[in-house]
Amino acid sequence: MISQQTRFRNTTQQDILSDLKVFVDGVTKQVKCNPLDLTKTALSILKSLPAARDAVLSYFCTVFDKASENYVCAIETEVSTGTIPPLSEYDEAIITEIHSVLCSFVTGNAEAWAPIISTWSLELLGEISTKYAGRAHISTGLNETLQLWMNCRATRTLIDITTQCLSCLIHSDTEACINALLDTSVKHSPNFDWVVAHVGSCFPNTVITRVLSCGLKDFCQNKSYEQGCNSPKLKSVVCILGHLASSHCGDIGTALLHLFNSSLIVDNAQDNDAIRLQKKATIPFLLHLSNLSSTLLSTICTSIYHTIPLEVILQLYNFIDDWCKYFGSSEALQDLLVNLILKCEKGASQIISLLLDCIFLEDVSSTDEVQNQIIKMNARDVLEFVLQEIDFSIRNNLSQHHGILNSLMNEIDDIHVILLNPKMVKSQTAAKIIIFIGHNNPAVLIKSAKFLFQHARTDHHLALLVRILSDELIDKALQPYHNKGGYFAAVLDQIFNEYIQELAVLNNNEDEDFSQMWYNLLILLRWEKSNKVQMLRSQIITRALQQNLITFTAIFAKSRLDNKTLHTFAEILEILNIPTYNNGHSYSPPLQVVINFTIGIVNYFFVCCEERDEIIRLKGYNCTVEILKRLCAHSNIARILALRELVEIALFSNCNVLFGAHIKRQVPHEHNDKLLLKQNKKLSKTIPLTKHSSVYNGGIIGTGKRKSICFHSLAVDNIANNTTHLIRTIKACCLGPPDSEKETEVLQDNIIQVSLLLVQYISPDVMYNGLPWPEEEFSKVTIERDLFIRRLFSSTPLLWELMSLVAVHRPALCYCSVIIRALTATLMHQWSSMGDQSKSMNTESYKSLMETTVKVIEVMSLGQLLPPPLSGIRDVISYFNSFEIVAILRDCIWSYMRDHIPSPALFTTDSNGLHWRDPTIARPSEIYTNTLRIIMQRNIKTVGHLYAQMFINIPKDELIMQRNIKTVGHLYAQMFINIPKDE
Amino acid sequence: MSVQETKISLRKIEFPACAKEALSRISQLICRRGPSLSQMDLALDLMAEFVFCEIDKRGNKLPPLNPIKELQLLDILFEYFNGNIKEVFKNTVFLSLFSGTTATLRSRILSKLISIAIGVPSKSVLISASALMQQVGDSSMNYNKLAEAIVKDYFVLIPNATQRLSGLPDFPVPRSLLETVVLWVTANSKLCIAAQQNPSPRSLLETVVLWVTANSKLCIAAQQNPSALPSGTIVMESTTSIAGLLKWCILAPIYKQDSELYANLHLGLLNNILDIPQGYQPKAINHVHLAVPIRYIYKYAASLVRKKDEAEKNRCLLEDVNLQLSLDRYAQAVQVALSTNCVYGNVGELLNQLSQLPQNKLWSIVIAANQPNK
Repeated sequence: MISQQTRFRNTTQQDILSDLKVFVDGVTKQVKCNPLDLTKTALSILKSLPAARDAVLSYFCTVFDKASENYVCAIETEVSTGTIPPLSEYDEAIITEIHSVLCSFVTGNAEAWAPIISTWSLELLGEISTKYAGRAHISTGLNETLQLWMNCRATRTLIDITTQCLSCLIHSDTEACINALLDTSVKHSPNFDWVVAHVGSCFPNTVITRVLSCGLKDFCQNKSYEQGCNSPKLKSVVCILGHLASSHCGDIGTALLHLFNSSLIVDNAQDNDAIRLQKKATIPFLLHLSNLSSTLLSTICTSIYHTIPLEVILQLYNFIDDWCKYFGSSEALQDLLVNLILKCEKGASQIISLLLDCIFLEDVSSTDEVQNQIIKMNARDVLEFVLQEIDFSIRNNLSQHHGILNSLMNEIDDIHVILLNPKMVKSQTAAKIIIFIGHNNPAVLIKSAKFLFQHARTDHHLALLVRILSDELIDKALQPYHNKGGYFAAVLDQIFNEYIQELAVLNNNEDEDFSQMWYNLLILLRWEKSNKVQMLRSQIITRALQQNLITFTAIFAKSRLDNKTLHTFAEILEILNIPTYNNGHSYSPPLQVVINFTIGIVNYFFVCCEERDEIIRLKGYNCTVEILKRLCAHSNIARILALRELVEIALFSNCNVLFGAHIKRQVPHEHNDKLLLKQNKKLSKTIPLTKHSSVYNGGIIGTGKRKSICFHSLAVDNIANNTTHLIRTIKACCLGPPDSEKETEVLQDNIIQVSLLLVQYISPDVMYNGLPWPEEEFSKVTIERDLFIRRLFSSTPLLWELMSLVAVHRPALCYCSVIIRALTATLMHQWSSMGDQSKSMNTESYKSLMETTVKVIEVMSLGQLLPPPLSGIRDVISYFNSFEIVAILRDCIWSYMRDHIPSPALFTTDSNGLHWRDPTIARPSEIYTNTLRIIMQRNIKTVGHLYAQMFINIPKDELIMQRNIKTVGHLYAQMFINIPKDE
Repeated sequence: MSVQETKISLRKIEFPACAKEALSRISQLICRRGPSLSQMDLALDLMAEFVFCEIDKRGNKLPPLNPIKELQLLDILFEYFNGNIKEVFKNTVFLSLFSGTTATLRSRILSKLISIAIGVPSKSVLISASALMQQVGDSSMNYNKLAEAIVKDYFVLIPNATQRLSGLPDFPVPRSLLETVVLWVTANSKLCIAAQQNPSPRSLLETVVLWVTANSKLCIAAQQNPSALPSGTIVMESTTSIAGLLKWCILAPIYKQDSELYANLHLGLLNNILDIPQGYQPKAINHVHLAVPIRYIYKYAASLVRKKDEAEKNRCLLEDVNLQLSLDRYAQAVQVALSTNCVYGNVGELLNQLSQLPQNKLWSIVIAANQPNK
């Protein structure tokens, strides 16, 4: 047993020893052997004899080196000949073998093996990278190098082993790991950078911090900027960080920030000289890094505003002398700064606002006057230089400073905020920046202009807007903007559309107050129309508005704007003067505009009626009249629409209250769910009933007693006022075309439209609306309609005014024949049903009946439908009994009207175009007047004076001439009919 | 052959072969009765120039050998020590190679040599190595490094070495290994015990326990079988590893190491002490070595009773399980050692020191039984 064991032991002993021998011989090339076998032997030695690890690993070094060389040679052959030589199979197999064994060591016993293996692999990587640097690849860029080596099996394996080791160690022994990495890096820099970069991306945090501090230490060694620029170590730091920046921007930012912040903390007690020097050099170092790498610059600038608040700037002030010394002169430092700012591709807006803040430093700090002054001056200089540089590059079409422009463009929102700053310098700087950007980028220009326009609160803001839009750097002829009315048109287009969308979605615009925006538009337009602003001579505002008139008027017409905004709108539209006939600038709006505009302005009229402020209201009325005059003269459609809208809204919408309409206030119907049975049960408990009683409560029928109707009405003055203006507005719609004789004249055709409209609205029927009056009997057929019309008149007093308007402009009243007929018919019915109640003349119903009767006859007389003496009836009628009134209405008025169809044919046109019915010619025959005369004679006591007027004092010559009309007809016309208007 | 001729002839040979040749020359020079000083000098020169390649022919210093060459050298050394030479000669050559002024320079190669010898394993190299250790003594720094390297190789880098090393209790390997291990443990006891999570010391402990329990004479093996040394050398008295190992298991509880292995180790050690042959002059355990744990126990007790009043202090000390276990083990060990009469030095002083320890029932009995005034 023992001997067996010994033998076994001896065999193993022999094995290990012979392995060792084979290995030594193989490595020293004393015996030629298969590299794969040799590797296997080496690995088995490594497993059994840890003491031999150094030798084994150094043998592996040669293996990896050979493999890398093969790879590099293969690439070189490929470059020169174009064919890829086959890769050695041995290399692959050997490396795989080694990889798996080493990895198993690392995973199995990380703490023991990882430091050994990682040190070895890093060192080897360093050697390989240095050895083959400059071979097989032309570019020395880090990414290309990384690409090259990651394609190599050997180095890729090494990197993999390294990262595995580091990932095992990184938590327990960070410092040692990174030190090993950086030591190798320093030794083999810059060829080793790709390894650091790659490893760095596996452990970004640690590597970045360490690389930075390593770079800073190196930077401190340099006495001047020029020296610093040429340091190879800095270049590799930049390379590594630049590589890491692509994927670990945040970590780098944090590390940089940490470095920066720690440099600010000056602790004299703890810092030794070296650290103090480092702290001083930190910011030049950071500046230098940013100068070398745009990625780092971006990382630094991304949140510079928060990194360097003003307090920190004051703190930094103490270092400035040192920096200036370092850079040679303050100008050199300034140049570097300006260059950096121009290059930065992120956070430019923050830099700008930081500079601006510095310029207004005294607002924040008042510690040291001189210091503040110096900081202010420098900040201003830097800002000025930056702006000049951009200006220069834009004017000369250089593409060098597009970094900052891109950055600013991406952060345009921040610039916008500055734009609204009350400080002139700040806002103008922002405006300038926007102009710079807008030079090449109209979309941003429009966005900014839109922002400014929407948020402008002061004239200063609007002045900035005008400046931006009209600056020389802005190419105003750029298509397609030019054809569409300029940039401002695009701004308005966006704003209007957004506004409409917002309304559609939200239905209420409480969140945002747009009134200021509309007011801004008005101010701009006023400026333009005042012709005092040079920059607005090109009428950009008008053109822009005209371009967007459809949406603008749509907003005006359809959205529920508040009154203030509506006034602004109206004023804008009035100033805009649509349609324009000025020579050169003539503008004829499209149909949609006309329609929207008309609807809008009509609505606005009613809004004005509700306006409390007298002055604004009057202004609004005038505005409405002016606009409607222009519009209706321009377009028939507008007129028809305007009239229709005016009449309809005034009569039937809720606005009718404004014109004295009586509204039945609906008393909300309280629905009682109480069951009758329950009510009775309740009652039977309270009322002591005899046993056999069966008295029941019958309940309430319907809603109980009819409530008296209460009217809601405005003050009489207001109603009269409103009515006057409505009539005025309607008249304005009916005026003739401007710049002609009939400019102030109400055209007959137009007023006929009004009367037709009235018929359309008032008569509920489509039949029997013709002009002729039928037999009186026939009114029984139409009684229902007649009563409807009558009720409408009594509830809407405005109708009388409209009738008067129509009556004045003869012969338009003829078309309202049906209405008058209906009224007359109802009057006849009512008077006849009144009977003898005429004695009680003071009752309410009598009064209103009499009033209505007088009004009807008045309207008929006004419209010359009733010639004298019938027209005088209104004066006498109040003295008569009801049956007399009935008789007069029937025999005189109805019969006359029935026999003389009220048609325009009754009227003649005089030379002035005035329609006129000659009272002498049209004197009714006695059939129609007899009843009246007899009744008047009967009541001669009371109506004597009127009788004389009506029947006796007929102008003599008139009578004589009437008798001889055949012979002197032409003269008669001259004398009695063609009376001049002013008379 | 003159000195120069020898060197010139050797310089004609390439490195690995020249080392081999040099070794044979060296052994010729020093393995004789009373070598002259000039011979010794030549031997040392040959070692520096041809074996370890520390200097060139003009005496300038050279950088250390690269690992491959080192391995070649180790190979040569193995070949030589495994060769058919008397043990005394081997030891002589070994001692002159690795001791003296150049010991520090060569310690790396020495540790590798021993490490490989353990791994192979090679009996003859290990015998020579233990002779070296015995002569140089355990206080040397180089020794510490050697111990550390070996522990690292076999207990840290190869975690499953226990199985490989466990089957060889009668082999010289454990003896020399045990010595080195114990040395290392004594030097780094705190480190070793405190690193609780570290699995490697556990494998070390396992191995030690295995050896100690398997062979009760192991601890005093060095004293039992003195190495064959060249004539004329002053034989150094070798110390046993008993005190060091005792310290390990006594202090284990107060470092919160409650592994069963420590108890086993303790038992094994007690058996070892009992097996020490009586009748000789006691030489197994020095009283100074035995008193080492007192310091640590004091420190621990002080940390326990800090900021406590007198009455509570006693109670606290008595109730602390770890402290009492530690004291128990200590008392048992001291009692066994004293009763087998293997403690040398000032036993009275030791007892005096021990009586200052925190209160413990067993201790009071042990102290009372061994009072010198009886």
